[in-house]
Amino acid sequence: MADIAQVIGTEEPAAGPGGRPREAAGPGGRPREAAGPGGRPQEPGDEIAGVADDLARASLALARRFSAGATMWCASPNWPFHAHHVAVEFVHPVIMGKRALPAVTVPPAADMVASLRASVVPGDIVLVLADADDPRVVDTMRRGAAWGVETVWIGAGPRRPEPGSANHVIWLGTDAPLEASELFVRIYHLLWELTHVCFEHPGLMKPEPACTDEVCITCSDEGRPAEVVSVEGDEALVRTPDGHERIDVSLIDLPAPGDLVLIHAGFAITAS
Amino acid sequence: MPETTDFLYPFIEGDETDSATLLEDLARSAEGKWRQSSRLRLATLDRSAAHLHATAAAMAGRFGAGGRLFTFGNGGSATDAEAVAHLYTQPPWGRALPARSLAEDQAVMTALGNDVGFDLVFSRQLIAHGRPHDIAMGFSTSGNSDNLMMAFAEARKQGMLTIGLAGYDGGRMAAEGTPVEQCLVVRSDSVHRIQESQAALNHALWAAVQEALA
Repeated sequence: MADIAQVIGTEEPAAGPGGRPREAAGPGGRPREAAGPGGRPQEPGDEIAGVADDLARASLALARRFSAGATMWCASPNWPFHAHHVAVEFVHPVIMGKRALPAVTVPPAADMVASLRASVVPGDIVLVLADADDPRVVDTMRRGAAWGVETVWIGAGPRRPEPGSANHVIWLGTDAPLEASELFVRIYHLLWELTHVCFEHPGLMKPEPACTDEVCITCSDEGRPAEVVSVEGDEALVRTPDGHERIDVSLIDLPAPGDLVLIHAGFAITAS
Repeated sequence: MPETTDFLYPFIEGDETDSATLLEDLARSAEGKWRQSSRLRLATLDRSAAHLHATAAAMAGRFGAGGRLFTFGNGGSATDAEAVAHLYTQPPWGRALPARSLAEDQAVMTALGNDVGFDLVFSRQLIAHGRPHDIAMGFSTSGNSDNLMMAFAEARKQGMLTIGLAGYDGGRMAAEGTPVEQCLVVRSDSVHRIQESQAALNHALWAAVQEALA
């Protein structure tokens, strides 16, 4: 899916006079001519092919999380206006009668990781609009599993986030910043619209099958992600989606507060 | 709902369990709305081309004379105002220009909202900051927001250039006797689609201002 968007978007940045991208230089802001795969002219709106399924899956996940009481934390370190727009969209719907949903903007000046670490609870949503290599966002998203939050990463450009770095990656291939900014507005408008469509399917809003102590492969047979809160000798207090736990860290290099570890049977088995 | 008609509403009892159909419907719905937005964007830019260039020329004149851009709006439109101020001050190319969103300072917004009323939150700031060469740019989807109309009236009184972006039929911002000199209207009745095409107009207008100043 996303590969289609990438193919369309991997055209070399087209520079006009004075190094300006062609994107914004045309009269009336007309979009640049772009050829799709096979040299076929690109139809207006073809970018959707690369993101429609991802949007659908993310919307269902959001609706399920909201139904279970989630708060959505929105952040966009470089484009705070996008984060504000997402939050106001969900809190104060443009369509009368639609549910107001708890969505919050992470203050742009805040330390993103510290602010979210203090605020999120398991089951919440963290939605970020950012480039794939933004270190603040990379560092936030990698903690999602330990915090027990659903992560959504929206962005654009030929480079996507590393596989597995968020639960949902909604990515546009374009490397033209203004085009991307316009399409981001569409993406979060649709995310809101589709999330509300999902609420009309109450049977699908039930939580996904929860793990049971006896059989859950995530809890029993594999390492569970955790974030170190404090360390005393060979023991550490860690945060997991199930709460705080004391674990033994003697099997790994001494971790520091904020480090991520995998834990199994009361031991940290690897630093991650 | 009589039980005999339940077969018409298979999921009415909330026992729907397979999400595949819903996901397929969501993806198709997203695609339809996305393409609708793309068509509206192109139609809006086409229809507004001459108007955009006249507006850009007027703005370039103001910037050239030392004017500054003040942007404002409510809700999602406040974030559009913020995005425009960001674009002018921190452009991807071209010349950085002085611009500020009037909704961004929460101390000022709450002080004015609490003390003098929300209708005046933007106009009172223009009284404090405005100069004749400045530009007032307001965003609304309805074209009817009271606090925008008050701000445009104050801006005109000071000799500022007034620019409005609206939706639907333009509302009061485009009506006879409006204080808005240049009103760019996205002809749609969907708030979301209007804002999406307004974003395109903002970018096209900014690019035309840069061209005019080059």
